[in-house]
Amino acid sequence: MKKLLVYLKGSRTQCVLAPLFKMSEAILELFVPLVVAGIIDTGIATGDKNYIIKMCLLLVLLGAAGLAFSVTAQYFAAKASVSFVKRLKHALFEHIGKFSYTQLDSQGTSTLITRMTGDMDSVQNGLNLTLRLLLRSPFVVIGAMIMAFTVDSRAAVTFAVVIPALSAVVFGIMFSCIPLYKKVRFALDKVLCTARESLTGARVIRAFCKEEEQVEEFRERNDALTVIQEFTGRISALMNPVTCVIINIGIAVLIYAGAIRVDAGLITQGAVVALYNYMSQILVELVKFANLIISITKSVACAGRISAVLDIPAEEDSGKEKISAENENIVEFRNVSFAYEGAGDNSLENISFTVKRGETVGVIGSTGSGKTTLVNLIPAFYKATKGQVLVGGADVNEIPLEELRNSVSVVPQKAVLFKGTVRKNMLWGKPDATDEEIMKALEIAQAKDFVMQKDGGIDAPVEQGGRNFSGGQRQRLTVARAVIKKADILILDDSSSALDYATDAAMRRAISENQGNTAVFIVSQRTSSIMHADKIIVLDDGTASVGTHEELLENNDVYREIHLSQFDEEEGA
Amino acid sequence: MKKKINKGTLRKILFYVGRYKIHLFFSIILAALSVAMTLCMPVLAGRAIDLAIGKGRVDFEGMLPNLIGIGVLAVLTAASQWIMNTLNNRITFRVVRDIRNAAIEKIQILPLSYIDSKPSGDTVSRIISDADQFADGLLMGFTQLFTGVVTILGTLGFMVSINFKISLVVVILTPLSLFVARFIAKRTHSMFTMQAKTRGEQTAYIEEMTGNKKIVDAFSRNEKTLEEFDEINERYQKYSLKAIFFSSLTNPSTRFVNSMVYAAVGLAGAVAAVGGSITVGGLSCFLSYANQYTKPFNEISGVIAELQNALACAERLFELIEQEPQKPDAPDAAVLENVDGRVEMENVAFSYSKDKELIRNLNLSVESGNRIAIVGPTGCGKTTLVNLLMRFYDVDEGKISVDGIDINAATRESLRRSYGMVLQDTWLREGTVKENIAMGKPDATDEEIIAAAKAAHAHSFIKRLPKGYDTVISDEASGLSQGQKQLLCITRVMLCLPPMLILDEATSSIDTRTEIRIQKAFSAMMQGRTSFIVAHRLSTIKNADVILVMKDGNIIEQGSHDELMKKEGFYCGLYNSRMDAC
Repeated sequence: MKKLLVYLKGSRTQCVLAPLFKMSEAILELFVPLVVAGIIDTGIATGDKNYIIKMCLLLVLLGAAGLAFSVTAQYFAAKASVSFVKRLKHALFEHIGKFSYTQLDSQGTSTLITRMTGDMDSVQNGLNLTLRLLLRSPFVVIGAMIMAFTVDSRAAVTFAVVIPALSAVVFGIMFSCIPLYKKVRFALDKVLCTARESLTGARVIRAFCKEEEQVEEFRERNDALTVIQEFTGRISALMNPVTCVIINIGIAVLIYAGAIRVDAGLITQGAVVALYNYMSQILVELVKFANLIISITKSVACAGRISAVLDIPAEEDSGKEKISAENENIVEFRNVSFAYEGAGDNSLENISFTVKRGETVGVIGSTGSGKTTLVNLIPAFYKATKGQVLVGGADVNEIPLEELRNSVSVVPQKAVLFKGTVRKNMLWGKPDATDEEIMKALEIAQAKDFVMQKDGGIDAPVEQGGRNFSGGQRQRLTVARAVIKKADILILDDSSSALDYATDAAMRRAISENQGNTAVFIVSQRTSSIMHADKIIVLDDGTASVGTHEELLENNDVYREIHLSQFDEEEGA
Repeated sequence: MKKKINKGTLRKILFYVGRYKIHLFFSIILAALSVAMTLCMPVLAGRAIDLAIGKGRVDFEGMLPNLIGIGVLAVLTAASQWIMNTLNNRITFRVVRDIRNAAIEKIQILPLSYIDSKPSGDTVSRIISDADQFADGLLMGFTQLFTGVVTILGTLGFMVSINFKISLVVVILTPLSLFVARFIAKRTHSMFTMQAKTRGEQTAYIEEMTGNKKIVDAFSRNEKTLEEFDEINERYQKYSLKAIFFSSLTNPSTRFVNSMVYAAVGLAGAVAAVGGSITVGGLSCFLSYANQYTKPFNEISGVIAELQNALACAERLFELIEQEPQKPDAPDAAVLENVDGRVEMENVAFSYSKDKELIRNLNLSVESGNRIAIVGPTGCGKTTLVNLLMRFYDVDEGKISVDGIDINAATRESLRRSYGMVLQDTWLREGTVKENIAMGKPDATDEEIIAAAKAAHAHSFIKRLPKGYDTVISDEASGLSQGQKQLLCITRVMLCLPPMLILDEATSSIDTRTEIRIQKAFSAMMQGRTSFIVAHRLSTIKNADVILVMKDGNIIEQGSHDELMKKEGFYCGLYNSRMDAC
């Protein structure tokens, strides 16, 4: 939490000036009852109308000066909080950028997005309020008490009793409400969950005739929410009435105590009015203060969540080894095993193979057999739990991430494009690509025709997520984005699933014609996509067998079964 | 901002509030009482102060009843305020609870055409956030609007009773603060719009880049992304500063106006006091009224905006609640039990929208225990057929019957129980793996569940999950691949073994080898059960008893694989084109 204060550094002056100006405003406000007392004791008592007018002008002046101070304070507070959040957002975004896949999996991207958006807004709001008001209210309360003591110390003793009593009530109620609000939030989430299920699962719920149960569950959760809401409401509704009782009893005592002093001739009637006014001011401020604390507690919780993300140590990137250009074996797995964090069993078990530059490798296996996991180990998206993955002769954990990722080009399963243009997406692969290079890559990926048909050709706009392209088109564009990189290793992770057989075949042919020295990994469920590969890795429940198409057909039951499931028996034989 | 408020909405709200009439009645009485007592207190204080004129001239005996009065009133006010708040809370939260319950009940009987056509996020936000905002608005309305108005009227009355002329000063000057507030709000509106727009842009960028971080990493684009992010961040800071600063001017400005009112009252009051038409206590009491009088004005403008918002939210809620439900089952509807699985379709016609005809004149006769495969190009009506069989949608014309009973004359529940269904869009509910599998058979034993999972080839991945069968999963965040989800959905059906089966692209994300194994398990378990299989993989289809080839809403060919291949028609072309491409 405290670490976040670093990001206030650039706004130090504003952070001091904002409360200072706000306090000056409060001081002026404290003079108001004194002026009113003057009007009563001097103006009315002597009938001096000039004096009264002067004093009333003074009241206006105090108001105007207060306005000026307060506006200045608002400006500094707004400036400081906005700048603070800007710096914090930058830091968090940068920090998340350094997370490894494992960290990303364990955090979940949706929570990270909430940290970056909703939580940040709340922190900004909280800081702004804090700078403006956190000092003001206690200052007014204490100030009013001190002023009361200067008016008459004996009568003002009431303040010394009332203020602690009020504070105890206000904060007591507030702090007992904060955990209750959390419970309300939690209960509401439960209600939300059932409501969402009723909609997204409408077909399944109806197919299994679960409508009644769904309503029943919703009613239960809804009732639970109402109960906790009403309970919280009853507690928080105590605040105003109880403070009101304390203040008013305080006022009664104050007037009586004041009257005794007036009777003794020690203070004037105007002074009693002034004391009375100070008491009213305190009430108003304390209620404001309590609301402020509630907002601030919320922001503090949000700040805590942000801070927790910042506290996660980012993946170390201290590798110093180089990928050797001479080493013929571009990828090598040595007894590699891998288990996802928190998983029961290994996803990959003791896998070894070697791939030479320019070779094509097919990876095949059933759903969940670990195909994607295997290729994700090459660019060190995940780290092997046992054994070693080597790229160009160096352990991937010892190669600087930037260098490693520049020599591996990946087409992920999920075809994602980014908002912008086709060109901008291609530049992800190669930041200085020329038009010719882009065209060539599109051609290899069989994407040239449909891109050229779009308005603007390679400068055609791409909507968020690539919504304005079909699934098959997106896949081809992500292939082009990877091909343009001309990396040492190209990984195609089931990236032709949405393509028809003819296009898929044409794309594979084009890739292999332009392959050069690049090692190509093709992950697929179709044997037809990989049967011509130099090497085929068959995964079955995390264990691997390596061979060529012919070898595997002969010796590997799993491969034969997969192959036969996709071809007529006579063709397969 | 000034939106016409639908009178109907108000009436509907009153209908729900009406259930808590007694609560409401007492709440209003207590509000009036507490305001009246609150206003009496300054009068008593003023009187007491008037009795302390100067040295030796203090009437303690006259003062005491006034002071005790303040104490008693304070306690009574507090009590009535608390009870009133509790009542208001109860009314609001229960009204919202009732409305939410009505909404969820409606959802269960809404025709699927409604659910399919509306984004679920929108409907969820109606039930959750709109209902919440409605509650906030209603609560604020009950507590603040009512007490605010009573306070204004009350203070005005008291002020007039003390001194008419000074009251006039207050009444004339107070609206000034309203004008100032409105003036500022108007000016800042455009800044808020800019801020909201940029915030939207920034959120979209964060979602895009954080959501796809794995790709950002794969292309080592972190630095470039940060640069782009900073550019948006910079702009957001600028607009945000303007919006926050200018909108925060409202408070100090209205406070300034109020302090001017205060000064004016002080001046008028003091002059009057010199003239003897008001006492000092009267003046002090007057000043405190002037303060109380201006406050509700500032609050009320906020409350009205809040109330308008609440009504708008209520309107969205009622829109959902008042949707036309699906036609209820007839009271004498037949109950299908242990069906044989003979399915007939006679002259069926159906379309999703009136202007676009989809299925016409569809005829089909399925014998008990047949395995029917449905193939055809995208959009030919395969999934629509499933919708009609399950009665997710009702036919426009013609008749579908199961075992000779028109399904429109049978209860939906008994029809759906006769089918086991696995769809391409897998859906899992929040709960453990076990609970999800046992959805169709809640009393299944662990052994049965594991046996079903083994048959569906889901056992091996389930036991690798962190807590095996007790791992909590949900539709969105489960870490399961699409293929694994499909396996779970298949397990679900394997467990409850209904007499008929529908598989709509149920194995589309599962590899062919596993798929064939699952098919084998299915055929073993579904022996003698009618099944409909929609698939695009021809290998899945070849073994079916009957293949229906659909195109543009019609069955154009029908027969076994060998028959259709001999015919050299559409199916043959489809099959060969796939083989050639290899």
